[in-house]
Amino acid sequence: MSKIACSHCHLEFDESVMIKDEDLFFCCKGCQGIYHLLQDEGLDTFYNKLGDEKLAPTTEQFEDSSNFDAPAFHERYVSVDSEGFQEVSLIIEGIHCSACVWLNEKALHKMEGVVEVFINHTNNKARVVWDDEVVKLSAIIDMVRAIGYNAFPYDPDIQEAQADKERKDYYLRIAVAAFAMMNIMTIAVAQYAGFFTGMDQNIKNILNIAEWLLSTPVLFYSGWVFFRGAYYGMKTKTVNMDILVATGASLTYLYSIYITVFEKGEAYFDSVAMIITFVLLGKFLEVLSKKSAADTLDVLSKHVPNEVTLLKDGEQSNVSVKEIVVGDVLLLKAGEKAGIDGVILEGSGSFDESSLSGESEPIYKEVGAHVVSGTTSIDAVVKYEATKDFEHSTLSNILTMLERSLAKKPRIEQMANRLSEYFSSAILLLALVTFIVWWLWPHSFETAFMVGISVIVIACPCALALATPVATMVGLGQGAKRGILFKEAGHLETIAKVDTLVLDKTGTITEGRPQVVDVRWYEEATDANKAQLAAVLNSSKHPVSLGVAEYLYDENMNIPLLDEVQQLSARGMVARYKGEVLSGGNALLMQEQNIDIAINSDKTLFFFAVGERLVAHFELADAPKKDAQAVIASLKHSGINVVMLTGDHEGVAKRIADTVGIEHYHAELIPQEKAQMISQMQAEGHRVVMAGDGVNDILALAQAEIGIAMGSGSDIAIDVSDVILMNDSLRSLEEAFKIGRTTFKLVKQNLWISLLYNAVTIPLAMAGYIIPLIAAISMSVSSLLVVGNSMRIKIMWKRS
Amino acid sequence: MNDSIIILMLGGSVFLGALALFGIMWAIKTGQFDDKDKFLNQVQYDGEEELNSAAEQERKKSALKKNKEGYRPE
Repeated sequence: MSKIACSHCHLEFDESVMIKDEDLFFCCKGCQGIYHLLQDEGLDTFYNKLGDEKLAPTTEQFEDSSNFDAPAFHERYVSVDSEGFQEVSLIIEGIHCSACVWLNEKALHKMEGVVEVFINHTNNKARVVWDDEVVKLSAIIDMVRAIGYNAFPYDPDIQEAQADKERKDYYLRIAVAAFAMMNIMTIAVAQYAGFFTGMDQNIKNILNIAEWLLSTPVLFYSGWVFFRGAYYGMKTKTVNMDILVATGASLTYLYSIYITVFEKGEAYFDSVAMIITFVLLGKFLEVLSKKSAADTLDVLSKHVPNEVTLLKDGEQSNVSVKEIVVGDVLLLKAGEKAGIDGVILEGSGSFDESSLSGESEPIYKEVGAHVVSGTTSIDAVVKYEATKDFEHSTLSNILTMLERSLAKKPRIEQMANRLSEYFSSAILLLALVTFIVWWLWPHSFETAFMVGISVIVIACPCALALATPVATMVGLGQGAKRGILFKEAGHLETIAKVDTLVLDKTGTITEGRPQVVDVRWYEEATDANKAQLAAVLNSSKHPVSLGVAEYLYDENMNIPLLDEVQQLSARGMVARYKGEVLSGGNALLMQEQNIDIAINSDKTLFFFAVGERLVAHFELADAPKKDAQAVIASLKHSGINVVMLTGDHEGVAKRIADTVGIEHYHAELIPQEKAQMISQMQAEGHRVVMAGDGVNDILALAQAEIGIAMGSGSDIAIDVSDVILMNDSLRSLEEAFKIGRTTFKLVKQNLWISLLYNAVTIPLAMAGYIIPLIAAISMSVSSLLVVGNSMRIKIMWKRS
Repeated sequence: MNDSIIILMLGGSVFLGALALFGIMWAIKTGQFDDKDKFLNQVQYDGEEELNSAAEQERKKSALKKNKEGYRPE
């Protein structure tokens, strides 16, 4: 049968399954509805713009949009602009081409009362301005949903907006500085040539005035950041690099004006432009690599279920978690995440608590057991009574604590910052001494002043300013190539200085899912047996079933179709095949099938029986990752103290720690205790890196000097971490340390290079031997050396 | 070489360069590089229809504003 494309989403399906509508075909009712809606609204030019692009099929399950009109929602997300209109920031889901942006903007524009819609295609964020007296936000959201997309609100995080603004500001300043510097350097070439071959004074004047005009915006516009920095530095009584740059550049500028006006000697306008541009570039690199604390709050709030199902007077209703009070009865369905702590009143089933406790195996809960917010029901449908309101529930508590610990995260001061303080003070002092000595040694004030200034000018802050940012940019690039993302350049230096590595067990050292470690077949392991078991396993998404299925997987296997497949909560699966009952599950299920089980193990067991015959049993455990042992040995060898913290049982923890070779471990810890252990280590003077992946690790990740998250970890763990390992491997963890150490070594070398340069040139300047050519060459050469040295990281890396 | 020729050449080239610089600064300031995807696809949205809809949007906004003002007690 021929494939045919849906008239709305362009996905191709068999003609037999399509909905025929005159001469159009639709894959589902949703697409059909949207097509006609667009036709009626006169928005059908969407399809011309869409071209051959395919859209995601529409979903029809949405939360009730009336939430968007709730006062609590407005208070948090909606602001009122200066003209009295309401404004909200939304993330639109489902946008993947420019036609989608066009359609959303157009459809909303057509609504009465919508004043402004702007959708950013790159990040799918939208700003909608509307008049609440004419149209409600819920109607706007309904429209977005009606045309096949979905929208949810986000807090336009102030930090993110500010980071953007700062970056833009730097672009502008650098554009001006770069333009002026390039022009000044061309003119300077003529001046240098003239210095040796002779040049008429009037030509010199023209060139000097041109440079003067060009360097003015560089100093006062591009260099404004240094004046501002110098002002704040003086206010807090610290001598920083900004003071040196600001005084150096402005004194040189004033001196050059004096030269130009009185037609004596050589002007240094080129140095003004060069100092400002190079140091500004170094600053800009730092701003670029700064972690944009993008939407931390959004990720947090996305992690918390917004709504729960409330059972009241025999009716189900979706209400916001914040409206739940102690004593309310809630319904939790299979696959849902609990938003509120409580006690089960009715029903039973397995819960996945790994995200909170790190426990790798699912936990069976029945009436009377506690439901903890943040855990997910695997197959349980339970009614439970809220024992805490949202504010006091576990998940909400963790998030509050997280925000607090993120705010007071320890930071190791960067070496260059400390150094530049001494350097700046020393240079300013030397310049003053030079000036006084020259003046008192009988020289004119003018000559003494010029020599004094030349000390400041020659003290190349450029190389010093570039030393750290260039090396770390190269280090960041090397990391990114290997799937190691450092969120901030400073983390490279910090990771080089740590001495303790704390590892989470589940998902970090281990694979994070049960795997078959032992098998016993009581009958011959025929292909038919295996295929039947695979068919039984296919019906379940339980982690244990998945582990066994993965073990059995064979692409040539011919999996039979079973009848009457049944999922039995907390026991397993039962199905009928050719008149026989196939059962796969735990010991409890086997007992129900009248099979006696006399096996004891500290691992998870899975049995498979045909009728009343036991066919096989599998032992499953969460196994360590392949390279765990080797990596931990090599980290220990490089002098790092490795510690394992886990929420899992002592027995499991000991087994894993022994296998991978970790001597220090602590088991059965709740998330808060993990963070406490780390702060205790810090109090003992250790600098700690924490690597983890789950919600149970976030407090510890935030507490440590550096938090490292696995790329497959929960989004919240990734968000609070400073380094992300995209490929989840422990090998990358080791590489992250190596990159940090190599980069830090380079930073130190770079700082040495620039200091040595100064050690040579400053005495020359103090002795009054500095001519403009030497100043210019020394400035460029020292900067080039620093940049060139940083590029060596690639070679150093290959060698190691 | 004549001094005024040098002034003319320097002035002319810096002026032309400055024009380009101001162009870029204006574009950065007005956010034209903020959304690179939309920027690249701009040609699709530059028709008469888009102009009309933008004008219509302005009209709608001022109408709503007038209504609001109407409610305001004197």
